[in-house]
Amino acid sequence: MTTATTTATSALAQDSGRRLENVLPKSGWITLGVCLLVFCVSVPVLNSLPLSSALHLPDYLVTLFGKFLCFAIVAIAMDLLWGYAGILSLGHGVFFAIGGYAMGMYLMRTIGSAGVYRSNLPDFMVFLDWKELPWFWKPFDNFAFALIAVVAVPGLLAYAFGFLAFRSRIRGVYFSIITQALTFALMLLFFRNETGLGGNNGLTDFKQIYGYRIQDQSTKVGLYVLSALGMLCAFLLARFVTTSKAGRVLRSIRDEESRIMFLGYDPTRFKLFVYTLSAVICGVAGALYVPQVGIINPSELQPSNSIEMAIWVAVGGRGSLIGAPLGAFVVNGAKSWFTVALPEFWLYILGVLFVAVTLFFPQGLVGAVKRGLPRDKLAALLSRVRK
Amino acid sequence: MTASNSTDATESIMSAEAAEVAPDEQAAPASQKTKTAKPPPKRGPSLFPRRRTVDKERVDALTQGRKALLCVDSVSVSFDGFRALNNLTLVLDEGELRCIIGPNGAGKTTLQDVITGKTKPDTGTVFLVGDDTDLTQLSEHQIAQRGVCRKFQRPTVFQGHSVFENLELALPGKKSVFKALFARLQKPEREAIEKILETIGLKDHAQTRAGLLSHGQKQWLEIGMLLAQEPRVLLVDEPVAGMTHQETERTAELLNSLAGTHTVVVVEHDMEFVRSIARTVTVLHEGSVLAEGSMDAVQADPKVVEVYLGKS
Repeated sequence: MTTATTTATSALAQDSGRRLENVLPKSGWITLGVCLLVFCVSVPVLNSLPLSSALHLPDYLVTLFGKFLCFAIVAIAMDLLWGYAGILSLGHGVFFAIGGYAMGMYLMRTIGSAGVYRSNLPDFMVFLDWKELPWFWKPFDNFAFALIAVVAVPGLLAYAFGFLAFRSRIRGVYFSIITQALTFALMLLFFRNETGLGGNNGLTDFKQIYGYRIQDQSTKVGLYVLSALGMLCAFLLARFVTTSKAGRVLRSIRDEESRIMFLGYDPTRFKLFVYTLSAVICGVAGALYVPQVGIINPSELQPSNSIEMAIWVAVGGRGSLIGAPLGAFVVNGAKSWFTVALPEFWLYILGVLFVAVTLFFPQGLVGAVKRGLPRDKLAALLSRVRK
Repeated sequence: MTASNSTDATESIMSAEAAEVAPDEQAAPASQKTKTAKPPPKRGPSLFPRRRTVDKERVDALTQGRKALLCVDSVSVSFDGFRALNNLTLVLDEGELRCIIGPNGAGKTTLQDVITGKTKPDTGTVFLVGDDTDLTQLSEHQIAQRGVCRKFQRPTVFQGHSVFENLELALPGKKSVFKALFARLQKPEREAIEKILETIGLKDHAQTRAGLLSHGQKQWLEIGMLLAQEPRVLLVDEPVAGMTHQETERTAELLNSLAGTHTVVVVEHDMEFVRSIARTVTVLHEGSVLAEGSMDAVQADPKVVEVYLGKS
């Protein structure tokens, strides 16, 4: 038994000093600072180099990286829920899209009368022959309100949905299926013109954000930097939760829910908390995403989008807050490249990637780095192929 | 169905729930599982919530002249017509060590489920003396917070956490989301954990991942987690199943040392183990108490011999 005392790295073992010091070890804070530099400084600097320079980073790449950072935020939110609390939501696209729509509504209102029809109403409303702005559009003239909505609407929806689901003790695959249904139902709702959110075409043709022209290079770099900061904040927030006692309770719920209940914790509350938090983080990611891609439409609510989010986390490594964003970068990087190089094959490649990771790296890429390649498994596969 | 409809017609109309109860009543005598002819008292219509507190007079009647702590008062539970508990009344004294035995299907597990809130009974109340809340109205975690703790038959510890963290999660207080987010381990808490580590003999394994412990060590860790909860009542389900002889002896010692300061209820099949620890034994049979008393008295009871000991 003495050999077994090589221990689980316990956050409690070194529990001393202030709460924040336990969020990351000293080396972790240093690494985080380096990441901050890499993400926030290097890209804008490389982008500002003259076009002739070999190191010049093209503008479209800045936006692309910004997009990836938004996906990385989503991956962190997914991982918090799936990797730590063991709740697999296959409907997180809902919260991402709602955050995006809230930002999109504000962006639509800032267009003013500069749209195609020179009307004070958004173009799609003129097109539908609406005479007046619907009531729920009115407060979105205000930027602060839009920011609150970005957080509050996904949060409230998640709270209400989670309350019903968790109170009824729906878990496991049943919860995943219900969340798929949620995103599908909302997609149908958002497709309708009567919903008042642009129907099929969604919201697009944005001109400016908070007074800055959206086409300007400086705005794009600014949005990119905001996304990078957003990702680091999401990471720290998730670290704060997972290193707390609440984080240990969440992992306990994942492993032995009845035990944690008989210890006097209410699992419903903890699940509801982490689900709502995860949804809010997704909403923020959506709000950062929309001004960078310039459009939000119901296709974001497709069930396949939400499933892809789960794949990012699975590829990167469940239960690792570094693995999840890494997975988002890798999968989306591959997607960008393959959809240009081999567009017909992308979905096959994604499928193969998912199957391969599940088979050979159940802990994802991070697990593969930590434990090395599973040589025995690969050898077995190779010998089978040779036969 | 037609027979019961004609006899219970008025009641079926009165409330939807009466209609639900009716098939149960019919099924109970049909299946020879329960011999009682007496139907359980009917529940009121669900529109009116059941009373949330227990009757003072009933408490006095049950606890007269004893230092009672936990009372299970005329509880009945049926699953699809099978009456798992049948008007069962059980009073546990403060600091006593009680063994509950009984053949398979006697209702031992259901009794624990009812006390800890996992199963809601059809009728009857469960309460702690001095607290007039009906525990059957509460959910599992609320009952646990009131100091009624349970040890499962299979050792259930958090495999991914260290032994220390397992105990930390069991400590009382800081059970809400907000408090858990900002909780910091205080010195008295750390000391409490260390004391428990010593009691359960896992001091050298404080930082070991619980998943790496042996079966017996996991059982002790779980008992330690119950202790950390500072319980008033400990329900222990078959603690020595699958244990070695030495581990069984140590467990007997541990449980004996807990009685006195805690009320301990042990549900066990192993008669030898029961004899070694029991002061009072309750024999359950077909959902109600068949006999209660010292081990010798119970063993001499012809009813008990017939249904249980005679067979083994």
